[in-house]
Order: sequence, then C-alpha cells, then structure tokens
Amino acid sequence: MDDDQSAEETAFVVDEVSSIVKESLEAVIGRNPYEHKRVNQWMSSVVEQSLGQLSKLSKPFKYIVTCIIMQKNGAGLQSASSCFWDNTTDGSCSVRWENKHLYCIVSVFGLAI
Amino acid sequence: MIQGVAKSLPGSFLFIFQKLSFQVSFSPDEASNVVKECIEGIIGGVDYSQNKVNQWTASIVEHTLTQLVKQGKPFKYIVNCAVMQKSGAGLHTANSCYWDTTTDGSCTVRWENRTMYCVVSVFAVAIAL
Repeated sequence: MDDDQSAEETAFVVDEVSSIVKESLEAVIGRNPYEHKRVNQWMSSVVEQSLGQLSKLSKPFKYIVTCIIMQKNGAGLQSASSCFWDNTTDGSCSVRWENKHLYCIVSVFGLAI
Repeated sequence: MIQGVAKSLPGSFLFIFQKLSFQVSFSPDEASNVVKECIEGIIGGVDYSQNKVNQWTASIVEHTLTQLVKQGKPFKYIVNCAVMQKSGAGLHTANSCYWDTTTDGSCTVRWENRTMYCVVSVFAVAIAL
C-alpha cells in the first residue's frame, strides 16, 4: 500500500497534467477570437499558469511547457517531438484545444529529478 | 615522507580538484547548428506537401535527437518541431521551463522557405551523475 502511494506521488500522471492545462486554456483564452496583439499575452499566461499549477503538485520533476497558437485560416500545421530520457520515470502530455477562431496545442514534458 | 610529497605538489592537486568540479552546461549555439543542418537536409528545397509533412517532422526530430545524443553529453533531450504552410495565418509559439538554470538550457531555430515555416526547439536537461 505504501509502495503504491509513493509510486503515484512520484510518477508523471497524464490525466492530472492534462486537466491543469485545459483549465488554464479555458480561463485565459476561452471564446476569444484570434487577435494578433493579444496572442503574446495569452501564451505567456497559459504557459505560466500551467507551470505554476504543476509546480504546486510538489512532485520531484523538472517541467517544460510549450504552447502553439494558430489562427484558423485553412493552413496546415504539423508538430512532432522526440525525447531522449528515462522511460520509466519521465513522461509527456499533449493537449489539442480549439475554439471557433483558433487552434492551440500545449505540450508538457516532465523529467524526473 | 608523505608530508614532503604534499608540500611539493599543491599546485597540481588544486588543478585536479578544479577539473573534477567542472559542470557541463548546455551549448545553444552547437545545438542550433545541428538543428539547422538537419532541417536543410530534410526539407531544404521542397514545397509544402500535406502527404509528406508527417514524414518530414518525424525525420527532423529523430535526426536531430540522434546527432545530439552522439555528442555524448550527460543530458536528457526533448526535440519539438512544428511545420506550417505559408498561407497568411498567424502562428505563435511559447515555452516555459521549470528546471536548474545553471545546467539546463534550450534553443529554438526558426527556418522558412517559399512555402512553409519550420520551428524546432531543443530542450536539454542535465542528468545528475
């Protein structure tokens, strides 16, 4: 029982991270249309808020959060990532989110210390 | 006898001690060059093609990662690549990292040709030896 609990406390839990990211996106962007002047602020807020919530989890991880916002304009966008790490302890989670006017992709990578 | 030896070699002892405490840190310029070569090699002179873009992004991240790992430095790496067709749409990317700023680092390369943009980010996190 103790072993299971401590394993959960130090593992990268995708669902937990995913919901933290979705909350940040809803709170910061919500239903706003794409505005070139505001996008910079939104991205900084989304990324900082997510990182803040993640560090509050107090797990022994280093985090990297990346965010891509693209206007809905018919263009194609492809994103890929490759990681060289320890499969047993590290993990990542990608959240694809959209509203009527823009697409947003947020990736969180967690590396065990 | 031992004391005598210690007195005659203080300089070299200090030198060895300094070498052992030297910490490897990430070199963004070196990584940037590796990334640029990989991108040029894979999508150098081609036009955006929806059928092939999947292969391209996968190849770019894999090749970049392989080259970085070959350097043999004590790092974990994350390589992220985004390719977008040029069609007048706006694209913004941002990243934020919670790590040890003395040893870890990142580098982002923006590249374009006539028909597409490519943004590759490399994150390097030091492994505790």
